[in-house]
Amino acid sequence: MMGLRRCAKTVLGILILLAVWQLAAVSGIWSAYVLPPPVKVARALAAMIESGVLLRHILVSSRRVLAGFSIAFGLAMAGGIVASQLKAAEEYYGGFLEFMRNVPPISLIALLILWFGIGETSKIIIIVLASFFPMYLNIRKGFVSGSQKLLEVGQVFGLTVWQRFCRIVLPSAVPDILVGMRIGLGYSWRAIIGAEMIAAASGLGYLILDAQQMSRSDKVIAGILTIGTVGILCDRLFSLLIRQVTRIRE
Amino acid sequence: MDSKVCYRKAEHPMKIKELRKSYQVSGHMIQVLKGLNLELDDQGITVILGRSGCGKTTLLRLVAGLEKADSGTIQWTHQNGADGWPEHSGAPRQLQKAAGRIGVIFQEPRLMPWLTVEKNILFGVREKGVGQEKLGHLLELTGLAGFEKARPNQLSGGMQQRAALARALAYEPDYLLMDEPFAALDYFTRAQMQQELLKIYQTERKGILFVTHSIEEALTVGTHIVILEHGVCGKEYSLEAVTFPRDLLSEEMIRLKRELIAQIQEH
Repeated sequence: MMGLRRCAKTVLGILILLAVWQLAAVSGIWSAYVLPPPVKVARALAAMIESGVLLRHILVSSRRVLAGFSIAFGLAMAGGIVASQLKAAEEYYGGFLEFMRNVPPISLIALLILWFGIGETSKIIIIVLASFFPMYLNIRKGFVSGSQKLLEVGQVFGLTVWQRFCRIVLPSAVPDILVGMRIGLGYSWRAIIGAEMIAAASGLGYLILDAQQMSRSDKVIAGILTIGTVGILCDRLFSLLIRQVTRIRE
Repeated sequence: MDSKVCYRKAEHPMKIKELRKSYQVSGHMIQVLKGLNLELDDQGITVILGRSGCGKTTLLRLVAGLEKADSGTIQWTHQNGADGWPEHSGAPRQLQKAAGRIGVIFQEPRLMPWLTVEKNILFGVREKGVGQEKLGHLLELTGLAGFEKARPNQLSGGMQQRAALARALAYEPDYLLMDEPFAALDYFTRAQMQQELLKIYQTERKGILFVTHSIEEALTVGTHIVILEHGVCGKEYSLEAVTFPRDLLSEEMIRLKRELIAQIQEH
């Protein structure tokens, strides 16, 4: 059982990390505020789980991530299709996208609040901006590199442009689309802090920022652990989905 | 078998007149075809023989409608013979109307990696629910029986190319275009594929335009050999009288091979 062995190694690694953390915490070099011991973090985590607060934060953040991710995915698909079918069009918007790609989404917070207020819209736009580019680049690659040679096969069989798109371009782009989605989902979760910096009253990002204000470093760490765990679960779930999809293709 | 196949009686189903094509390569215009003329028989295997870069592939791509000529015409006798010699401008749909169905086999198999062998073979078939019988026949013919559920990447190069051949045949083409289809295969696989091509040719009797740089291959499969050099068709040879399978070591073939080598070197 290789799976079990690998799992054991992962658990062992985490245990070693926890032990080092505990040792550092009890050594007295740092104060409990700077480095709260694992037990304290666990207690904060347990309290939040028990009261149901944590679950509520997770659900709120998940909804935002899902909304932002879906919109970004839609835009990335549209952009990828346009880039592959209308090469001339891409020359117009390509430069702007290249510029936006290099702008950190958080730098736009001030403008987003000004334009869209402090509601959900601004938060979701932050997530869209963070996850769009990695998805777009992958999906675009899938559509554009869709082998010219295979397209010629469609051409000699007399397929129309639409048929060629559905039967050749799209299926050959599927692997890149899935990779793009998986990366995009990860970026969406990582953008949650930035999104919830905008006047949020709930969510995992809010939890961390609020704990920061209250000088509760144990709760900050508990929040970080939750985001990381939810991110991993999402990724696993998604790769499971990918495996299902590729099985259907077979 | 024969009931499936409809022959046309025209002697030359395709006429190419004054075909010109040039490419822009890093600022230089390179003229590949310089007023090429050719007439093709609809039931033989016409081999276009020439060195690499002489324009063989360009010619085939123009006939297949994958590229447009600068000038000149490619005319096909209409399937019914009623419309005389309609020209085609290169658009594949128009081409189908003018020329009937054309099957193309490229130098690489070009199978869809996400489809099974079976689905790849039926890729060009429009009619829904094509008979299992026809698929079985093609799998048998190309020696792929038992591999219908395999993926292209699970097959050897030779088997992939046979799947590509089956795919072209499933389309029921009136004419087959083959662009150095066996060039990437090793010597033995290549020889085997040539024999299989002849087997298929003898049962299906499709007209075939076969492009190659190999003199041996031309002598093995050609009923006509046309030398392509400097963008025009040179000398033509008819081998219709020589039956298959051929012995390339016979005196006649060796003499012919010598002549072909001399012809190509002369240019």
